[in-house]
Amino acid sequence: MDGRAMLIVARDLLERPDPYTAGIWPRASALLARHALEAALDDLWRRRAPGLERCSMRAQLLCLPAYLPADVDLATRTSFAWTGLSRASHHHAYELPPAAIELSTWIEVVEQLTGRLERM
Amino acid sequence: MNEDLRQLIESRLESEGLAQKNWVGAVFAAGDGRTALEAFLDSGKLPAKAAAASASDKRPGAFLTSLAVQGFRGVGPSQMLSVTPGPGLTLVVGRNGSGKSSFAEALEVLFTGDSKRWADRSKIWQEGWRNLHHAHPTTIDADMLLEGQGAMKISAAWDATAPLDSPNVVVQPKGKPKTSLEALGWNSALVSYRPFLSYNELGSMLDEGPSRLYDALSLVLGLEDLVQAQDALAKARAERQKAWKLVDEQREEIVEVLKQFLEQDSDKRASRALDALTSKNWGLVELQKLLDSSDVSSDDQEVTVLNRALLLETPDPERIKKAATGLRAADAQVKKVAGTDADRARKLALLLEQAMKFHESHAGGDGPVCGTKRAIGVSWAKQTRQEIDRLKALAAESEAAHRGAEETRSQAVALIASAPDALLTQLFNIGVDGLDVARAAWKEWHAGTTLTDLKGLADHLEKKHEAFTDAIERLKKGAAARLKKIEDRWKPLAEAIAIWLPDAKKAARGMQDMPRIKAGEDWLKGAGADIRDQRFAPIADQAMATWQFLRQNSNVELGRIELAGARTSRHVTLDVTVDGVRGAALGVMSQGELHALALSLFLPRATLSESPFRFVVIDDPVQSMDPARVDGLARALAAVAKTRQVIVFTHDERLPDAVRRLDINATILSVTRRPKSVVELRTALDPVRAHIEDALALVHTTELPKDVLQRLVPGFCRAALEASFTHVVRRRGLATGKSHADIEDDLKNAGKTTTLAALAFYGDKDRGSDVMGRLNQFGTWAGDTFRACKDGAHEATATDLNLLIKDTEKLALRVIAEVK
Repeated sequence: MDGRAMLIVARDLLERPDPYTAGIWPRASALLARHALEAALDDLWRRRAPGLERCSMRAQLLCLPAYLPADVDLATRTSFAWTGLSRASHHHAYELPPAAIELSTWIEVVEQLTGRLERM
Repeated sequence: MNEDLRQLIESRLESEGLAQKNWVGAVFAAGDGRTALEAFLDSGKLPAKAAAASASDKRPGAFLTSLAVQGFRGVGPSQMLSVTPGPGLTLVVGRNGSGKSSFAEALEVLFTGDSKRWADRSKIWQEGWRNLHHAHPTTIDADMLLEGQGAMKISAAWDATAPLDSPNVVVQPKGKPKTSLEALGWNSALVSYRPFLSYNELGSMLDEGPSRLYDALSLVLGLEDLVQAQDALAKARAERQKAWKLVDEQREEIVEVLKQFLEQDSDKRASRALDALTSKNWGLVELQKLLDSSDVSSDDQEVTVLNRALLLETPDPERIKKAATGLRAADAQVKKVAGTDADRARKLALLLEQAMKFHESHAGGDGPVCGTKRAIGVSWAKQTRQEIDRLKALAAESEAAHRGAEETRSQAVALIASAPDALLTQLFNIGVDGLDVARAAWKEWHAGTTLTDLKGLADHLEKKHEAFTDAIERLKKGAAARLKKIEDRWKPLAEAIAIWLPDAKKAARGMQDMPRIKAGEDWLKGAGADIRDQRFAPIADQAMATWQFLRQNSNVELGRIELAGARTSRHVTLDVTVDGVRGAALGVMSQGELHALALSLFLPRATLSESPFRFVVIDDPVQSMDPARVDGLARALAAVAKTRQVIVFTHDERLPDAVRRLDINATILSVTRRPKSVVELRTALDPVRAHIEDALALVHTTELPKDVLQRLVPGFCRAALEASFTHVVRRRGLATGKSHADIEDDLKNAGKTTTLAALAFYGDKDRGSDVMGRLNQFGTWAGDTFRACKDGAHEATATDLNLLIKDTEKLALRVIAEVK
């Protein structure tokens, strides 16, 4: 399953009312979006900077602007979205799942990133 | 006045030996309001006692069974919140914007027609109460359970164009006729006991000023009638004093005008009015008499003089004309006899007669005087006889003319009256218009009396009469004007007094009630405060007890809470001690402390046994509270939940977590909201269970493709393990006396799965490399499961998902059970 497919499912989980996924969708959607984000970066490094895919996500995100010189803003937003998605997919004391609007914003960033990296 | 309060006051008056006082009725009547008080003061009769006064005591307690909301605020398609009808704690947990507050607001709107938090907001905000994603209909339905009476449904539905405050509300007890919130006695109860407490409301309660806080707290005491009585008495007193002051001011104005009037004119009526108005009790009776006898004329000197002036007469022009004609005719007669010496003619006639006599006795002869010979003869005698007759006639004519002239003159002079000097002098003193001219004219007119010349007198009469008449007429006009002026000045005065008099009488009557009003007011001032304190004491005690739960580590101590003052100075005294310093202001308290304090004050109010509501809805009490205080809140809520249905909406996991940790029996519901206002409610379990259940649900009940599941399920399993580690860290931290804040810091710093596990196992997040070893003590399956969860959260795994979930649950439970 590629990143685009995961993003479609992530968005579907978020937007389509479904009693089976009631309450589950925020974390499920976040997990899938994060998978898609990481897969997109993984693909980029394999093509452009082999080995970087084995580094921590923190390192990968720090490197990203250098490979997106024309789109530093997207790199910044990617970093922000990953942090949010990551938080949402872990258990945090006292924290509730992200709101639909937050998730939607993050998924959109991943969609843009995926589209951008595919053209590189 | 409600029966309770009436009895309380009666027994109090009895014990003070005041029951027979004449003002007691005023106190009771005032309890029913101003109108009743006035009616009592007027008639001395008390209003009939309200028959249904004690009916409110028998209101059945109401629990909530469910709340269904549709198209309202954040809730689009219909969603139902079901709770167990009965005492207990229900937490509804959801992020801000998840729609949870919409449920709290919906219940409040259903019951009260408005929500406190919107009350002060702008119109735009108030108009945004319909859900944007869900066009008409908007409905709110609550199923209730009434103690001893059974189920009841309250439904509100809004037409497409209906404003928020006018829904169609139906209150339908099961198997009974429809009723209304009003009939249930809930409308007033909603104000008094207000079972809805929102974050905003709690925040504003202590900021809205001392009298508002007082009002909010004192409503539950059922002492509104007491306040009403004090108000009615105070108003009755103030209005009487005001009315009295006003008529007194008017009286002074009238007195001033009267004085000015009397300075210029004397008028007996004005003097009498002035005397009355300046007497001690304003001589109202005397004034009325004065006004009633409208024929009372002034018998005053000035008016008498003026009236006499009006009686002055001038001769009739006809008579003057006649007199003048007479004078002229007499004059002509006199002229005619002029030159004839009547005297000489008479004397001559006399002489001749004597001569005749002589001749008769001495016939013939010469003239005895002239000596003419033979002068005296028969022919002489004949001639002389004729001469005597002629002379005699001549004399008579002249005498008649003179006599006639004299008579005519005296008649004419009689027409010229002499001036009434005394009257003119009086008129001069008064200062009447035309007096000088009149005086001069009169003098000139009167000069005619000295004229002897008949023709001159006739001319005088004719010439001067008109001027004299004119002058006198002018003088009379002046006098008349003067009289009218006096009348005219008096008339408005009389009118002013007539207008003032009824008000003055009313004010005077009102003042007669003052002793009773004042006595009642004074007594109530003291007794009211006592009764109020007596009633408030249990609420104050409970508030302090709640504060003990909530204060947790706070350096703020809450001592006595008292309702103090009355009317505009009413306020709530909070005996707040900060760090042992008494009398500190609320300003030194943190936002969280203020909220806790407000909650302490209002939770007792909402849960009084007199309230028909057995539920209390609290929206977001946790905001700005630190974790320690949240523990206290959980305990306080648990205490209330023993006898009440407590429904708490909260925006994060702190309160549910505290409830679980403290092993408080509670139902926890979570709210999530998908786009387009699709709100979902489900029962929340403890975090480990919740994550496991979510993972199982993904595998068993969704139609997601397998490769999606393989990417998702490990993520949920990892969350379950993280939850177990978190549980261990917090439990150990709290057991060893660590502060909540420190524990939260540790957890936040630990972050990822492995470091969190290290923190749980060793209390040291940096011992991540030892984690696998510790896990393997549970068995190698444990290490495998941990790794599968961790890696699988990042990339698809080929593991058997059902087995992974099973092992995850096993591991999480063992971590919680065995890691100390």
